[in-house]
Amino acid sequence: MNIERDTVGLHTFMQDRKTVFCYSGPMTEDLLTTIANPVRHQLSDKETEEVVANRVFGVFIEQAQNIIRYSHQKTKSTGDSVGTIAISIADDGFLIEAVNVVSESKRDVLEATLVDLSVKDAKELRKLYRQRLKDGPPDDSVGAGLGFIEMARRVKKFEFDFQAHEFGALFVYRGWVS
Amino acid sequence: MIFEQTQRTPYVELTEQSCSIRGECYPENISEWSAPVLEALEENMGISNGSFKVVIELYYFNSSSAKFLFDFFEYLEESAESGREILIQWCYRTEDDTMLEAGEDFQEDVESCTYELVAIEAEAAG
Repeated sequence: MNIERDTVGLHTFMQDRKTVFCYSGPMTEDLLTTIANPVRHQLSDKETEEVVANRVFGVFIEQAQNIIRYSHQKTKSTGDSVGTIAISIADDGFLIEAVNVVSESKRDVLEATLVDLSVKDAKELRKLYRQRLKDGPPDDSVGAGLGFIEMARRVKKFEFDFQAHEFGALFVYRGWVS
Repeated sequence: MIFEQTQRTPYVELTEQSCSIRGECYPENISEWSAPVLEALEENMGISNGSFKVVIELYYFNSSSAKFLFDFFEYLEESAESGREILIQWCYRTEDDTMLEAGEDFQEDVESCTYELVAIEAEAAG
């Protein structure tokens, strides 16, 4: 490792992209409990409306729990899910980024879900959310199956991509909140 | 009966005439937390047949918790349909569009209960 290129480079990289929070590694519920509040306090200051901070927090929690439950990449020692989440200042709000490996079959379901959600407006998202609440979760869901719908309702816009990965597919999610 | 507030779950207080839920809800395992709460609700509501008041003041809840709230309101609605007098107050901070919207979402499913959306002024909370 080179101090200039790697370590100063990391600092500059984070500063330039205005990433105020980033975690990459084993994601567990214990970790979430520990970091949730510091992350949230970091978001709420005089310059950020509490309502916006809460929305960012909501997307952060949903995506963190998605990684915990569905990441296909696990640590060798504990079997914990591995992923990356970052919160950055962007436009007039925040950008939440999440990256984690998913299985090929999960990729297919996810892609279909997200394509479907990306063309829905607020009213349609609300209707879908309420329908899912009544119907109950899909079979392979750990939670209520509402996470991505919830996120779609909270963000101004979102993007996603899947890239080749040896353990399945690398799922990349980007959501903007303001 | 009281369920103490934790970092990720709300304060819940139940009497034979009332239920209060305050705080935030994003537990690790929603069923584990909510099963005893719903059980206690049924128990307390079963004591008498008088009017029952529910006050909910949540600042954040995750998508898994939405399912718990849905089941919670569904139970109240069933009781109201059987003739029980039930008042629900969904409290939200004035600028909190998200919680207001959530309150409106749940309102659509509880026709037999009296359901009020109550705006509250934000306090300087810790």
